Amino acid sequence: MQERWLKYALLVPALLVVLAMAGFPLVYSLLLSFRQWKLAQSPTPGEWVGSKNYVNLLTDDPEFIESIQATLIFVSADVLVTVAFALGFALLLQRAVRINSFARVLLILPFVMSPALIGISFRFFLNPEYGIVQYLIAEFLPAMQGKVWLADRTLAMIALVASDVWHWAPYMTLVMLGGLASIPKETIEASKIDGANAWQTFRDVTLPQLLPVIGIVVVLKTVFALKAFDTIYTLTNGGPGTSTQTLAYFVYQTAFSYYDMGYAAAAAYVLTALLLVCSIFYARLALAKRRA
Amino acid sequence: MQRRDLIASSAAFAAASSLPSVSWAQSKAPLKPGKPYAGTELNLLSVVAPQFSAHERKLAEFEVLTGIKVKYQYVPFASTREKLTAELVAQSAQYDMLSVMDVWGPSLYNLFEPINNQIAEKKIDMTRYAGPHLRAARDGNGNGKNILGMPIRGHVQLMFYRKDIFDKLNLKAPNTWDEMIDQGKIIQGKTDLSGVAMYYGKTAGQNLMIWFNYLWGRGGDLLDAKGQPAFNSPAAIAATQDYVDLLLKHKICPPGSATFNETDAVNSVAQGKSAMVPVWWWRYAGLTDAKTSTLKPEQVAYAPLPSFPGKESTTYTNSWFYGINKNSKKKEAAMEFLAWLGDPSVELSVLLDRSLNEVVAVQTANMLNQDVNVRFKAMHLFGAQALRGAKGTPLFSQWPQVSDLLEATINDVVSGRAQVKPAMDEAANRARKILRA
Repeated sequence: MQERWLKYALLVPALLVVLAMAGFPLVYSLLLSFRQWKLAQSPTPGEWVGSKNYVNLLTDDPEFIESIQATLIFVSADVLVTVAFALGFALLLQRAVRINSFARVLLILPFVMSPALIGISFRFFLNPEYGIVQYLIAEFLPAMQGKVWLADRTLAMIALVASDVWHWAPYMTLVMLGGLASIPKETIEASKIDGANAWQTFRDVTLPQLLPVIGIVVVLKTVFALKAFDTIYTLTNGGPGTSTQTLAYFVYQTAFSYYDMGYAAAAAYVLTALLLVCSIFYARLALAKRRA
Repeated sequence: MQRRDLIASSAAFAAASSLPSVSWAQSKAPLKPGKPYAGTELNLLSVVAPQFSAHERKLAEFEVLTGIKVKYQYVPFASTREKLTAELVAQSAQYDMLSVMDVWGPSLYNLFEPINNQIAEKKIDMTRYAGPHLRAARDGNGNGKNILGMPIRGHVQLMFYRKDIFDKLNLKAPNTWDEMIDQGKIIQGKTDLSGVAMYYGKTAGQNLMIWFNYLWGRGGDLLDAKGQPAFNSPAAIAATQDYVDLLLKHKICPPGSATFNETDAVNSVAQGKSAMVPVWWWRYAGLTDAKTSTLKPEQVAYAPLPSFPGKESTTYTNSWFYGINKNSKKKEAAMEFLAWLGDPSVELSVLLDRSLNEVVAVQTANMLNQDVNVRFKAMHLFGAQALRGAKGTPLFSQWPQVSDLLEATINDVVSGRAQVKPAMDEAANRARKILRA
């Protein structure tokens, strides 16, 4: 009996730290989202305004709605392209046994780079006067020559997605490689013996067994794309206009440019709700994989 | 005085040396006798700027005079507002003095100590500051009775141009925006340079800085008499159309101008890719420094910003002041420092220090000083003239939000997504909501 209580007692310090570091800010910011608080005018939160911040966000703030639209476009394109690249690279690398270790080291490099630095680098690459992308486009895609990428809404979004894919696809490739390695070789061999070609083997044997891993990659990437900020800030600054201003960027601006903390907290909770949905999916997938 | 007269007079002054030359070695700062605050240590939170580093190097002089030690802590510009707000709102007394940019002032007025009484006691003549710079240090959106600090850093805009190219093509610095367009077209036709490097990208409201001059020059304004958005008035629409047409219609800017920020535009000139850039005067140092530019000083000249026909040249100003933290426990000693630093001799000594290339000045006497204008080839005379026509920065607490809105709107228009009139109407609608909040 004593041992039973002891193990809970030993957990208490860790639980207290988690509560202080995660629980308190979560609850405090939730309460804040129902208050008005202009930080530059008062060091303490102002009056209770109920659901006003949320109502304003959803019914009377076109910038917020635009940021939701930009977020949906960015997240869906980002996740789709990242997963496609990661799966493709993983399938290629799975066969290249000799260069596998070297490739894995190379793959981790983009992931260890700071997203802010990646954004700045891509901004340089896309500089219309001296960027390497402009040079390459002039060489290989003359029809696109002279296009100012970051001044075009579609191209700016493509640039943003490309920078994030460059950052994340290699890491996700490693995750996929892990998933591929866990597929029993016997199933692949059996399909070959049964006369299946490479595509049929992939479609009917590899892919179904890899789906739980792909699911986890999709959910994780969605979470990271939803909270992406650094690259957006340094690469497009939300522009042109507000076309790449995602929800995370909107929250930052509202909180730390306009110091409207109550309103920013409400917007942050909309983002949190989206993240929560993703997290529930992730938890279900992870549990399902473990049970399998 | 019209711009041509100004240039003529500046040339005349350079030859005749008729402006007063002030000795800068002696400080006449009104300090309290007997060093009553000797041993006090003050902390100053300042934005990073070579001008302030130059001040810091002169602190030994202040310490000898007062016995007060001052410690500078620098913050990069991008983090300054955040740090400043965090320190002041938390009512911390860690910093006795803090540097503030004009547009941040309105949301922080209550957190600085008014220094009117000390100014009166020390008989400091505040008229020595150009009006727009002093306005930045006043509460009540620039019209209040309280002075919250000493103006310390201020900028005016000038037109920098490639003198060698202009000479070769027999061109003169543009007097009007239309002349700038004509000259830009000539330069593009006869050289491989772009006419004028503009900056329409999104970075901290930088794409509004030249737009203001178009707006004011056309007779428009940001807000009307009732404090409501007026930047979609017919005059403002015409001004905005003129401004974006430099890129969209006349094509005298590098295509990248649609995404350029101020630094990109300056770099375009420094790299020899554009012939003109309208920008803050402090950019002169970078344009002529071998470490940051391919140009030699003799290749770079400057003139007041162009204006509309028959109108005086204007400038958007950017001003900083050092204010005393309301929670400081050493306010009197801090005022001693501000009185010393605000003495014209300190600013003058930095301007005339040959080991530096520092052009920033806020005191009218220094801007008219003969030695300064000889050293910087009448730049400060142009600056003083431009300040007389300056309407000053917008000072109201919602400005950062309105600024972001306008910045995004102009960026949208330049990217070809929106037309000027509907875009500015929509921006005005949104700004009304912001101002109501």
